[in-house]
Amino acid sequence: MIKLENISFDHCIKCTVCTIYCPVARVTHLYPGPKQSGPDTERLRIKNPELLDVSLKYCSNCKRCEIACPSDVKIADIIQTAKWRYSKKELRIRDFLLSRTDLMGTFGTLFSAIVNFFTHLGMVKYFLDVIFKIPSGRTFPNYASGTFTKWFKSVRKYQDNYADKVIYFHGCYVNYNYPQLGKDVVKVVNALGKGVIITKEKCCGVPLIANGYIKKAQSHGRHNIKVLSSALPDDKTKIVSASSSCTLALKHEYPNLLELDNSPIINNITYITQFILEEFEKGNILRLKPLSYTVAYHSPCHLERMGSAAFTIELLRKIPALTVKILHSECCGISGTYGFKNEYYGISQSVGNELFRIIDEAKPDFVVTDCETCKWQIEMNTKYKVIHPISLLAEAIE
Amino acid sequence: MRYDCIIIGAGVAGLTAGIRCAKEGLHTAIISSGMSALHFSSGSIDLLGYRDNAVVYKPFEAIDQLTGTIAQHPYTKCGKPLIIEALLFFKQECEQQGLFLFDNGNLNHFHVTTLGTLKPTYFSQRSVFNEDVYSRFKAMKKIVIINFEGYRDFHPQLAAAQLSKHSLFANCEIVAKQIEMPQLQDDGKYPHEFRSIDIARIFEKEANIEKIADLIRLAAKDADFVVMPAVMGITNFNQIHNKLQSRTRLLVYEVPTLPPSILGMRIDNALKSRFAELGGVYIAGDKVVRADITDDVVNAIYTNSHPENPMEAQCYILSTGSFFSGGLVSEFDNMYEPIFKLKLHHEPERNKWYNQNFFHRDSHAFLQYGVLTDESLRPYDSNNNIIQNLYCSGAIMAHYNPIKEGCGSGVAISTGYKAAGQIINLLKRMS
Amino acid sequence: MKTLEAEVIVIGGGATGCGVLRDCTLRGIDAILIEKNDIASGTTGRNHGLLHSGARYAVRDLESATECIKENRILKKIAWHCIEPTGGLFVTLPEDDPNYHNRLLEACRFAGIDAKEISVKKALSIEPNCNPNILSAIWVPDGTIDPFRLTSANILDSIERGAHVFTHTQVERIMLKQNQVIGVQCYDKTAGEYLEIYAPIIVNASGVWGQHICKTAGIELKMFPSKGSMVIIDYRINNVVVNRCRVPSDGDIIVPGDTVSLIGTTSRKIPYDTIDELVVDDDEIDVLLSDGEKLIPNVSRARVLRAYCGVRPLIAVSGEMDGRDISRGVVLIDHKERDNVQGLITIAGGKLMTYRLMAEMTTDLIAKKLGNSKRCLTYKIPLPGSEKRVGYTKKIKYFSGIPNSVVGSTHYRHGERVHNILSLKKRNYGLICECEMVTLGEVEYAIKNLKVNDIVDLRRRTRIGMGPCQGELCAYRAAGLFTEFGDFTPDESTKLLMDFLEERFKGVKPVLWGDGLREFEFTYWIYQGLFGLGLVEDNNT
Repeated sequence: MIKLENISFDHCIKCTVCTIYCPVARVTHLYPGPKQSGPDTERLRIKNPELLDVSLKYCSNCKRCEIACPSDVKIADIIQTAKWRYSKKELRIRDFLLSRTDLMGTFGTLFSAIVNFFTHLGMVKYFLDVIFKIPSGRTFPNYASGTFTKWFKSVRKYQDNYADKVIYFHGCYVNYNYPQLGKDVVKVVNALGKGVIITKEKCCGVPLIANGYIKKAQSHGRHNIKVLSSALPDDKTKIVSASSSCTLALKHEYPNLLELDNSPIINNITYITQFILEEFEKGNILRLKPLSYTVAYHSPCHLERMGSAAFTIELLRKIPALTVKILHSECCGISGTYGFKNEYYGISQSVGNELFRIIDEAKPDFVVTDCETCKWQIEMNTKYKVIHPISLLAEAIE
Repeated sequence: MRYDCIIIGAGVAGLTAGIRCAKEGLHTAIISSGMSALHFSSGSIDLLGYRDNAVVYKPFEAIDQLTGTIAQHPYTKCGKPLIIEALLFFKQECEQQGLFLFDNGNLNHFHVTTLGTLKPTYFSQRSVFNEDVYSRFKAMKKIVIINFEGYRDFHPQLAAAQLSKHSLFANCEIVAKQIEMPQLQDDGKYPHEFRSIDIARIFEKEANIEKIADLIRLAAKDADFVVMPAVMGITNFNQIHNKLQSRTRLLVYEVPTLPPSILGMRIDNALKSRFAELGGVYIAGDKVVRADITDDVVNAIYTNSHPENPMEAQCYILSTGSFFSGGLVSEFDNMYEPIFKLKLHHEPERNKWYNQNFFHRDSHAFLQYGVLTDESLRPYDSNNNIIQNLYCSGAIMAHYNPIKEGCGSGVAISTGYKAAGQIINLLKRMS
Repeated sequence: MKTLEAEVIVIGGGATGCGVLRDCTLRGIDAILIEKNDIASGTTGRNHGLLHSGARYAVRDLESATECIKENRILKKIAWHCIEPTGGLFVTLPEDDPNYHNRLLEACRFAGIDAKEISVKKALSIEPNCNPNILSAIWVPDGTIDPFRLTSANILDSIERGAHVFTHTQVERIMLKQNQVIGVQCYDKTAGEYLEIYAPIIVNASGVWGQHICKTAGIELKMFPSKGSMVIIDYRINNVVVNRCRVPSDGDIIVPGDTVSLIGTTSRKIPYDTIDELVVDDDEIDVLLSDGEKLIPNVSRARVLRAYCGVRPLIAVSGEMDGRDISRGVVLIDHKERDNVQGLITIAGGKLMTYRLMAEMTTDLIAKKLGNSKRCLTYKIPLPGSEKRVGYTKKIKYFSGIPNSVVGSTHYRHGERVHNILSLKKRNYGLICECEMVTLGEVEYAIKNLKVNDIVDLRRRTRIGMGPCQGELCAYRAAGLFTEFGDFTPDESTKLLMDFLEERFKGVKPVLWGDGLREFEFTYWIYQGLFGLGLVEDNNT
């Protein structure tokens, strides 16, 4: 018996709405849906952990079930917790490597040219497929040749010129794969008249949670709460992130799933587009030049979960001359490391098909989305380039 | 974040209000915590189906009579002219999205339920087995009610037996049939998870329709009518319906099922798309937890995900539903409205909340509990002061029983429409 | 009129009656059982399902305690699939008399109950959800027992060995010829017909209703009914039985039963003429919840699913008695001795734990009267389902392809009979009840084999509709299956659905608040709003 702390499953009134909106259950009947994998069988697992259905591994933790639930049941959290709490963990090198984004990132950026060359080789892909069960169809994100933190050192001294500060949680992706987004964030924040602070952050923990390394995720979480809170000069200072999943982890996964106390930082964490909009409302408005593009906006699941997709849409609408086509909210299917595994690759692709179809229908100049993994998935499956709303904003700044 | 109008709750009431506000050019946001009760509804719009346990045939006459006798009823607060206006508005907005509603003019019509009972309603979707169908049906001799092997939420035998007892169908042979859809058998490793939605998705794949139509035709070859559970897709239902009818050369109709309700989801879809099309901001999956009120005016509201970041508007609409949707909360020994702590109509003693039997003719008292409002739908706070810029609509309102009176969606549409109207007028006056 | 003959008629389909039927059948005695309602629908099915170690009686009723521990050991052998040997704790709260702890330990030692003192820390590691402020703890070999499955298994075995069982059949009167019983006249409520059954021996095992049965034979037997109420929590808030270490009183035990937990029990004397329409009083719920919370704090946060009550069948040998004070000892009356009515035996008192022992005592008397010299075998022949003891893991492997939750739940409920239920045909393991993992195959098996007459009976055999939603989706699904697997017309199935929802509502309405109220609103919306089920009668006209 475990000590029952999070008992949101008790509020489930069996309405089945979560299962309707589950993108995985939609494409495969191997997965019985969030209601059954979550609140229904949680009662049985409490009775006897042996009643765990292996099918819950198909949950991609996109959290659309939680968005749909009218009873405030933390369905995806229940399922993630069950994965590590009740099932026997077998060590898998692949899961270990996929979940250690910072470790891999450090290595990848050091030898980026070589790594990028190899991960795109057919032979290597075949090897990864056979040995590590990483699908050969999957394109790997490139590693950058230098990290964001290294670049930031070069601009740190200018940040002190600003009286107001913002803490920026950049995340692994910006640091190792796409420093340009981090540079754009710094540009936008500076344009708003604020300086940027970065801390010695660790990976937020999302990939660790997804691969069942809960202890490790908890230790990362504790570290991040500590460094972020001690870097806060006052209560009012915001901690912003331009990654929807990192923000979700800091705000939501830490207390609900990892059972960590994030109260020292929870009120400061803000997703970047919301932060910018609030500045606009205070009268701190950026002067933006017209961008005459037509973009299709895809709202990532984890951003939707936080109710923040509306802020990005609002912000995009503030860019003059920009035509924003809002795509019907669908999961892209990749769900972080989920789509990097052989056993889920097919599902991941089928989940995304609907989104790829409506993107093609929209015929944009390019796609805009807030999430790095959505970007990989969409770029791999459509002919469109995907950019972050902040990069677009940075481009519009005069 | 600042808006002209923030609507809390995205059911029929909230979405109707949202569409009306957005259409008037107001910067409107809807915040919704989970999906609405439309997902469990019949997908027909009930205006007023029963009065004193008797079936209502002429709903507008009955509304006249009701508004003359029950002062507190939401319909009385709306008034018949506004109700008619609201219904028309709703119908037109749905049509904008390709969802066509049938009505019988001044009369209610009846739709068939999963159990084979008949229920009075005002609007039904075109594909629903309803009164219109019935009038064309008089010459018909045989109805086949079909189900799909593996789908456990529909028992055609029960519907057939119940329906054949009704005098309308006295001269008609009603038969139950089962068809085996190969699509349900193939990859269905967990067939126990087949719900209406799974079958609807099979229907939504264009390649499947012809095959399904042939199966239906085979099962019902000598029938005039085919009745099946409502699974003809969520988005492209018009084409599916037409295709099925033309390929089978039969009249094929749907009946609402156990949740999830495909018929209800079509309305949900249509209303949300319409709202987005009009530039409305839809925030899903966040819950409003508290409000900041001074001098009887709501300054801001706060949500679960953004507990410290206020969302501000000039006016607010509360359409969070009843207990089921979390608009009202009951505890061991009390009830309350969780966001604004509004004044409620309810009995304090728990044993007065319900009647002795499940199917008691007087239904259950708690269904008419809710927020008290003035004529303009503005609620009272616990000190009995009217909150000036907050309006209520839908199931959170007191003094009507949506199930017993068969008026849930009618009240939601009317009060949502009216609440929006109040705000539009107020903001116009102010500017 | 239909007439039948047998050697023995057993009146009452509670645990005792079913135990007597089985014991008779095993000794080759031709017996028929008659039950006015469903098996285990009376007192048997209305207790907290505690597999007593005897500790609860040890201080004040040594005899009962000794009986309990003995039967406890037997039941674990013959009926393991109805039992979960969870173990139990007696915990002392800060407000309780600390001396009771030692008294209890000593009494247990005296009764031969394997009780041991454990540290508070150990107790909290065994039961992490227990109140952390407890002062001391005792571990006892308590467990849980499912009265429905236990009774049903007795019936199943008897039927398979040739006995006849009539449920939903009411005994109208006992027929006498001079001072010898010759049979009973009864009314079969399902078939709507009278029947007469002749036998030289009649066992009145109808518990508290025995007063009425005796009266039809002209015998006065006075019962002092005492009501006990319990509440059910949505899920297992504890995994071992948690008792409060004090003189037994209201709200001092929480039993994990299958997927739920039960808080017991109150004790109130009630007039005999109210035993058929018992209601749980609101203040009983208050007491159970506020005292339950003291044992396990989560009680205050959890959803209460139902409240229900049963009647303790206490026979007054003489004078007035209070419900809890009287010994729950067994009363076996040979009415030949007491009232000079030959062939009539009343067996009453006792408790679920001692049903087998009571059946043995009764059957010994029957056998003596019939000149049957066969010995009782019920202490060693396992009940159907308990033939082999196989753990979950093996079964789950055997049925690989079917979800573990389904295999585990079915196996938990039916033991070895899981092989008669589950098959790899997809339709077979389609879920009907999603809360309790009741499959179509299990419903089919129950309707065809387990004397199921309606959805309420089906619930007792399978747990359908006993989960958090209380039948919201599964009630309709199950109703249709009665037409498919049983000989029920569609209209009868619709009626069963109504009756079932009414029956569920009885237990739901006393606890109608919070999520329970939301759930009910939803269920009411579906069946009345969406289906118009309450209008069926109006609709017909």
